[in-house]
Amino acid sequence: MNKKTLTTILVVLLVIAAAVAIYFATKPAQEPKEAATEITWWAFPTFAQKDAKDPAGTYEQTLVDAFQAKYPNIKVKLETIDFTSGPEKLVAAIEGNKAPDVLFDAPGRIVEYGMNGKLVSLNDLFTDELKADINNEGLVAACGDGTNYWMYPLSSSPFYMAINKEAFEEADALQYVNLEGDRTWTTENYVKALEALHAAGKLTSSVYCMNQGGDQGTRALINNLYGGSMANADLTKYEVDSPENRKALELVKKLVDDKVLEFGPEINAGGEIELFVNKTLAMTICWGTTAAKINTPNMDFTQVWLPFPSDDGKPVLEYLINGFGIFDNKDEARVKAAKLFVQFLCDSEEVGKANVLATGAFPVRTSFGNLYEGNADYELLTAFTKYYGPYYNTMKGFANMRLQWWTMLQAYLSGNTSLDDALATFQTESNKDL
Amino acid sequence: MSTLADNKKLFARSRAIQRQQTKVSYLFLLPALLFFFGFVVFPMIMGIYTSFFNYTMKEFSFIGIRNYIELFNDSTFGQSVTNTLIIAVASVPLVMLFSLWVATVIYQMPVFSRSFFRGVFYLPVVMGSVPVVVVWKWVFHRYHGILNWTLSSLGIISENINWLGEAQYAIWCVLAILFTTSIGQPIVLYVASLGNVDQSQVEASEVDGCSKWQTFLHVKWPSLLPTTLYVAVITTINSFQCFALIQLLTSGGPDGSTSTVMYYLYDTAFRIYRYGYANAMGVILAIIIAAFSAFQFRVMRTDD
Repeated sequence: MNKKTLTTILVVLLVIAAAVAIYFATKPAQEPKEAATEITWWAFPTFAQKDAKDPAGTYEQTLVDAFQAKYPNIKVKLETIDFTSGPEKLVAAIEGNKAPDVLFDAPGRIVEYGMNGKLVSLNDLFTDELKADINNEGLVAACGDGTNYWMYPLSSSPFYMAINKEAFEEADALQYVNLEGDRTWTTENYVKALEALHAAGKLTSSVYCMNQGGDQGTRALINNLYGGSMANADLTKYEVDSPENRKALELVKKLVDDKVLEFGPEINAGGEIELFVNKTLAMTICWGTTAAKINTPNMDFTQVWLPFPSDDGKPVLEYLINGFGIFDNKDEARVKAAKLFVQFLCDSEEVGKANVLATGAFPVRTSFGNLYEGNADYELLTAFTKYYGPYYNTMKGFANMRLQWWTMLQAYLSGNTSLDDALATFQTESNKDL
Repeated sequence: MSTLADNKKLFARSRAIQRQQTKVSYLFLLPALLFFFGFVVFPMIMGIYTSFFNYTMKEFSFIGIRNYIELFNDSTFGQSVTNTLIIAVASVPLVMLFSLWVATVIYQMPVFSRSFFRGVFYLPVVMGSVPVVVVWKWVFHRYHGILNWTLSSLGIISENINWLGEAQYAIWCVLAILFTTSIGQPIVLYVASLGNVDQSQVEASEVDGCSKWQTFLHVKWPSLLPTTLYVAVITTINSFQCFALIQLLTSGGPDGSTSTVMYYLYDTAFRIYRYGYANAMGVILAIIIAAFSAFQFRVMRTDD
């Protein structure tokens, strides 16, 4: 290579280098491209679909679409799960490190997952402003374990009973039901109503206990009859073995033995509700706003909502809180996106209110106001809210306690085990991990 | 000399071809082997390993054989083992005898009828557990079930029986359903196996004056033994692993009367998150199944 050629190559290279340098120096700096974040949302069928014929997840998908339109860099993958297989799918996913990012559920499971270290703390979302808006210490406390908040709440509603008015009228049992005011009624009148129904040849109600499905109904019935409770006052120990609960269980056993009350170890609340809806049973002990919303179109009788009967006429009601938990999938971006999504669903004036209505429950935020103005049923439910009891669903070992509860009912009410033994087993087993 | 050298060459070449074929065979087997190790052997080893741990949603600590000690003091586990044994011991002979009887009857039918009955008996197998259990739930329904309706219409019962809610009936209801879902495969296998019986021997025995029973016992039965062994082992394993049926039908109730080891295992793992304890149950169940299968192999083994 001669000197001239070498010089030419060097000059060409220099010119190219200079051109490239000038190009990059003058090019405006580009925004770093924001990577899209994908999160998954698993939802139990708590939202009612706008049209009953719509498949599960239709309403939820509209929420996802609205969120994605607002936040195009976040993609939400929706998966609907049912109450039968959903809990097992969740456990399998958690242990397989495939947990969803967002879960729409109730505090029982969510707080348990949180206490087991599977969720991210939502303390940063529980601002003083939010707490003031909720304005209910018990409800706020139910979203956490005392140290961390694990569930971001949306709506809440009580669990109660419902009766078939026409069946009660036919059996002349309606005289024992209080249809005035808060409709509170006594254990004595409850028993008289059952006996009147039985005498008229009607099947009254079932103490179902096949599994934990809807077990809050049987717990509320037995706890209320003589003023018992599930746990001690500071919610540190499950305490069912009390004189009040013993008396209640003995009464229920007697009613079962006399065939005044049905014993249902082969059905859970779903089965009991089905029997109520098809008029086999005259009352259900597991009614709520969601059950009413789903089943009312299939009912050709008048349903009357009642609180649980109690000795002193002052019921203590269990209640449901619907809300969201966020799983800790070790990805900050996903956690951030999930929190944005949850706030979008719960906080925004338009979407939040629509979602509360879709759950058929009351908003936890007082700022949402009365969403059911002029609705007599919901005015009654508003009256029920003052009877809310202590929220023991977030106590440690809640899942195990539920297992022990229906096992105890089966053992005692079937006559295979004495009350002493059944209660002793419950006390030991449900408290062993506390 | 040259012939010996040629033979050696030929032998070496043949061995090389054999090695090559072995390699190719293993390569063909590889996907299945990977699947087998990944989804059968590895989980099995993990199951045994974690059974020595206090393995829950939050903890994972070594506790030696404490899960096993707890198991042997757990009355619910004891009851579940008893129920599992009842189901296995009652269902296996019933399934085998009934399948064999049906197979011998339908084998003699024309081709169309034989296929029709094979299809009928195999239907519950292909339908899957959920629809089968839903239909049986209607049959056994306490208030609106067809069984109670039929029995009361015939005047056999005066008031409805809670078939799935009373301990003395529930386990038999489970067995009845298990029976219907278990006979399909054995019937198909027995029909196929009857086709392999040497007809010349059957004819010879008939010519020699053997009765039908003698022909069956001394000519057909020995040919059916390998199928019988397979049916016995598979039915035993299925009976021991009876789970979906229990979960959908009774949830182990009433009062644990239909709880099986598999169901209790599931409850322990998925409802109260005690994975290590559940795995210990799995290990015990595997040992029981292995013992039963070994016993069946020993009793029913054939020299060929």
